[in-house]
Amino acid sequence: MSTAVKLDMMPSKDISDYAEKVLLNNPFENFKIENYKYAQLHKSITSNVSLDEFKADLSSISSVKNIKLSDTSDIDLLSDLNKWNFNNADSYFRVNSILERSSKKIDLDLFREEIVCLDLSLFKENIHLLKASDSPKTLMINNSNLSEDCARSIILNLSENAKLNIIHYNISNSKSFLYFEINQQNNSNIKFLSFQSNNIHTRNEFFASLEENCSLDLYGLNIHNYGVNDNYSFIQHMKPSSQSREVFKSIVKSGAITNFQGKIYVDSIAQKTDGYQMSRSLILDNESKANNKPELEIYADDVKCSHGSTVSKLNQDQVYYFKSRGIDEEQAIKILQKAFLVETLEAIENTQIKEYSYSLLDSRL
Amino acid sequence: MLKINNLHVSIEGKQIIKGLSLSINKGEVHALMGPNGSGKSTLSYVLSGKEGYEIEEGTIEYNGKNLLDLEVDERANAGLFLAFQYPMEIPGVQTSFFLKTAINSKRKFLGMPEIDALEFAKLIKSQAEDLGIGSEMLKRDLNVNYSGGEKKKQEILQMSILKPDMAILDETDSGLDIDALRIVSEGVNKLRSEQNSFLVITHYQRLLNYIKPDFVHIIADGRIVKSGDFSLALELEEKGYEDISKTA
Repeated sequence: MSTAVKLDMMPSKDISDYAEKVLLNNPFENFKIENYKYAQLHKSITSNVSLDEFKADLSSISSVKNIKLSDTSDIDLLSDLNKWNFNNADSYFRVNSILERSSKKIDLDLFREEIVCLDLSLFKENIHLLKASDSPKTLMINNSNLSEDCARSIILNLSENAKLNIIHYNISNSKSFLYFEINQQNNSNIKFLSFQSNNIHTRNEFFASLEENCSLDLYGLNIHNYGVNDNYSFIQHMKPSSQSREVFKSIVKSGAITNFQGKIYVDSIAQKTDGYQMSRSLILDNESKANNKPELEIYADDVKCSHGSTVSKLNQDQVYYFKSRGIDEEQAIKILQKAFLVETLEAIENTQIKEYSYSLLDSRL
Repeated sequence: MLKINNLHVSIEGKQIIKGLSLSINKGEVHALMGPNGSGKSTLSYVLSGKEGYEIEEGTIEYNGKNLLDLEVDERANAGLFLAFQYPMEIPGVQTSFFLKTAINSKRKFLGMPEIDALEFAKLIKSQAEDLGIGSEMLKRDLNVNYSGGEKKKQEILQMSILKPDMAILDETDSGLDIDALRIVSEGVNKLRSEQNSFLVITHYQRLLNYIKPDFVHIIADGRIVKSGDFSLALELEEKGYEDISKTA
């Protein structure tokens, strides 16, 4: 038995009704919500490919603070469940994860280390992160060591003038469904890179709400040999003069699927918004797929918003150019793949993490 | 060094080269001149091994080997170089990285170790300076936002560091102003020796004032219709292609 979950049943209407319909039935088979268009949630992805045995080895990075359970405190997200800050959008995973599990609060300013690592395999709870200071801090979110399927909400609140650099490593042989919510107060600044490779089945939702004079750089690096890798973003400009920049790059081969669906929403009072979204995919063979769906919803009249989207194969003329200089085809293709993705790694500020991420990418080409 | 015999080439069923023969010996510079659509660029692509060209008939021998048996990168490592009329833009690949990769591919082919960083820096600096290529340009993505002249200089820089035995220049003079033409020509002349050969493809005699050819060939409708020395280029400039082709 399956039930189609309709938009009007989403959380803000009637949470108990929604919960009953969603949780008691398997909604996935006829899951007809536009935002989940390509997510293929009903499919159980079984593959005959040899799985990527990657484990994040962060030992090369010095002075990382690994967040432990004792660094957290309880927080009740359930009572806030009816509050929904995002216009005409919905997240099944937000509701589902908050109903299903308890939540922990982490204050990032309490750690003196510059790099803080949140390993999701160490937590069963949803995570609520706070950052109030403007001191430089890099948050690593690692869901590469998961031993079981994972559906979580990760909520980030940045106070006025706060700054944060985030790198998310998503390379997992377990299913992982993450809801990221980013709430930025005035003058706050986030650079976020999600590094995704060879996931059995993953969906990341990025919901961001920006107040005045904020900046958000949201980058996605995808390189996949198998699996379904689904990214959804909803960037909401609620006050004037904020800037958002999204760049999602994907390379797929051997039957992998990559999806990007993203909306920039500009409220009627959010004049002088500067929004940019670029999603580009490279398909290396005939078995793989890429779906890109950019969306704009703009209610202010003095804004700059642009988006672009491409899906293409490798440019054979470029490969020929390399070969004409004596570089063999295999190496040429590797270099061209890296060249395609490398822009996203510029979101990382810490040089050690940047180097680690470059070598991680090299190992996957 | 290079021996083309009775070459017939077609693209998507349309015959472009129709029985072309040409021999280039070690140390010689040959100019190939001809009107648009006569098959000049097709010949350069066929020699470098680009896909999409069907060799219907004929042979190409390079240093005693059958050139058509070799892959594009194998031809390059065997000493064949094509300076492109329209060099590809490669976003995301820094020019100096590309040059280093190309040098190391050749060294690997020759069984040599990779070039060390200092040696590479020295080599590039001296060659680039001669061509008026600044270090800033070497940091930029390969050919991206280069002017027409910068792209051609970049091709000649690649040629200078790879030191090919047989270089084909495909309309290297197109899009160059007088100064750039002189600089590029000097780059070519510097490489000229008894050991290596050139095939200079051009529309105009102008380039040949700088790079003096030993032989001049006129190509029309896919075959060489007249061969001679430098005076043929001068005659061509005076009379135009149509007259020359008629008298051939």
